[in-house]
Amino acid sequence: MANRFGFKDLGIGIGLRTAHYPHILSKWPKLDWFEVLSENYMDTGGRPAYVLDQIAERYPVALHGVSMSIGSTDPINREHLRKLKALADRTKAHWVSDHLCWTGVLGRNTHDLLPMPYTEEALTHTIKRARRISEILQRPIILENPSSYVEFTHSTMPEWEFLSRLAIEADCGLLLDVNNVYVSSFNHRYDPVDYINAIPADRVVQYHLAGHTNKGTHIIDTHSDHAINEVWKLYALSCKRTGRVATLYEWDDAIPEFDVVVAEARKAARYRRAVAA
Amino acid sequence: MKLGRLQRWMQAVVVYPGETRNALRSPRAAKLLPLGKIETVLLPSPTLTAAQRIAVYQEMYPMRMRDALASDYPGLEHFLGERFWDFVVAYTRFHPSRRHTLNRLGDHVPAFIARQRTFKPRAFLADLSRLELALTEAFDAPEAPVLKAADFEAIPPASLAGLRLRTIPSLRFVELDWNADAYLDSLKDDQHKHPKPRRVKSLVAAFRRNYRVYRIGVSPAAFRLLSDLAAGRVLGDAVGRSLTRRRPLRATPADFSKWFKEWTAEGLFTLQSARAKPRA
Repeated sequence: MANRFGFKDLGIGIGLRTAHYPHILSKWPKLDWFEVLSENYMDTGGRPAYVLDQIAERYPVALHGVSMSIGSTDPINREHLRKLKALADRTKAHWVSDHLCWTGVLGRNTHDLLPMPYTEEALTHTIKRARRISEILQRPIILENPSSYVEFTHSTMPEWEFLSRLAIEADCGLLLDVNNVYVSSFNHRYDPVDYINAIPADRVVQYHLAGHTNKGTHIIDTHSDHAINEVWKLYALSCKRTGRVATLYEWDDAIPEFDVVVAEARKAARYRRAVAA
Repeated sequence: MKLGRLQRWMQAVVVYPGETRNALRSPRAAKLLPLGKIETVLLPSPTLTAAQRIAVYQEMYPMRMRDALASDYPGLEHFLGERFWDFVVAYTRFHPSRRHTLNRLGDHVPAFIARQRTFKPRAFLADLSRLELALTEAFDAPEAPVLKAADFEAIPPASLAGLRLRTIPSLRFVELDWNADAYLDSLKDDQHKHPKPRRVKSLVAAFRRNYRVYRIGVSPAAFRLLSDLAAGRVLGDAVGRSLTRRRPLRATPADFSKWFKEWTAEGLFTLQSARAKPRA
């Protein structure tokens, strides 16, 4: 099944990280694609910009942001979107993604992906902003389900319903982070299979996979390890629904050698082979 | 609770510098949600109370700020040691991030250090932070094609006096009253022989070449000439001023040849300089 936006299945990629620059620039390793953290490249004309330009010439890239703050009650940050669009145009990014979250209000940025209450009020607010942001960026925005550590008392629907309705009503794509589904399901005690099965498959443009840290009482989404088997099982389940979709492995803390990250990402191949293109 | 109020409350708790129980009773948070009412907003889990759950976010906030500031101010972090944490808390209280990136979080550090009284010696730390900010700015400045020695030599001698030599965007000048430059150098020393703060006047040019940041010490006369050129003075004016200053700011004709050779080798001027229309 192709996604409704016609975005390509880019294959299996990893997140571009500074620690791997020397390896990439010297070896130009075989890899299907890179995901680029947008904010790290918006305000620099130095080495990060140079490296990104080199990489964007040789590999497909997609932009992934952390500061769009789509659920915030602050005004939309047009300056941020202007820079994001310019970066997307310059790198010929296949798509631009960010998170279903808010990062700050009153002009501040906490640089955290803070969760939304899943209410009709929040949904209406987020749909309106998602539509406006897509217009400004002149492309559909792709939204990722976050990991979360709190639940709001007055939420009236589960996260998957909120996300699905948002995607359909604002005409967004989805970046389904399977590890985040697992982390939040552990923290909030729901069945992750229910989540996967509720997602509108034709809107899934990309997958994220990652490792996490289980503290016993809760799980933190640290991106610091290999993905656990339960996450791979959820990925396999979701692939059966969506078909082959661009898949990306994130490793952000205690980052190992490039080849270790790529090897972890390529575990996705066996699940992708099992489903139709 | 309405979305806007909820977000203001949650942010007030998350950014509070201190224990979560104090964050919840802080005036800013308690005004939006009275103490003891947290479970009207957040659910407990089977293993964590509502306060413990929001603490996950609240505990991560200062660590992110610390990592960002330590990345741009390694010298300051090293000098302050365990007090760096207190510095991060104090600084971000006055200068929280208001941008989409943490890369610019530390832009106000030199000014903040210069006006506070907690972290000493204040003047040394202000110099150290100014130098480190200059290095960060050099790292992120726009790239520009560099004027090479051959380009410089190809400029007709008659055009030189009216030539406006443009310096590369990454070039930063720092005037230091303390030995901050030597302190930064010592961070590379495996023996950990870090100089004690002392008053030493020095002049530093920080810049980027081939995507690496460098800093060089320059003499007072060279510093003044280079600053004049960076400010847009044409070459003839800048050189003329250098020749007529008092020592140690005065230059000799021999200095110019040596300096321009060094500066073009370092790539401190842009190619656009040579293309600039000479003044009649």
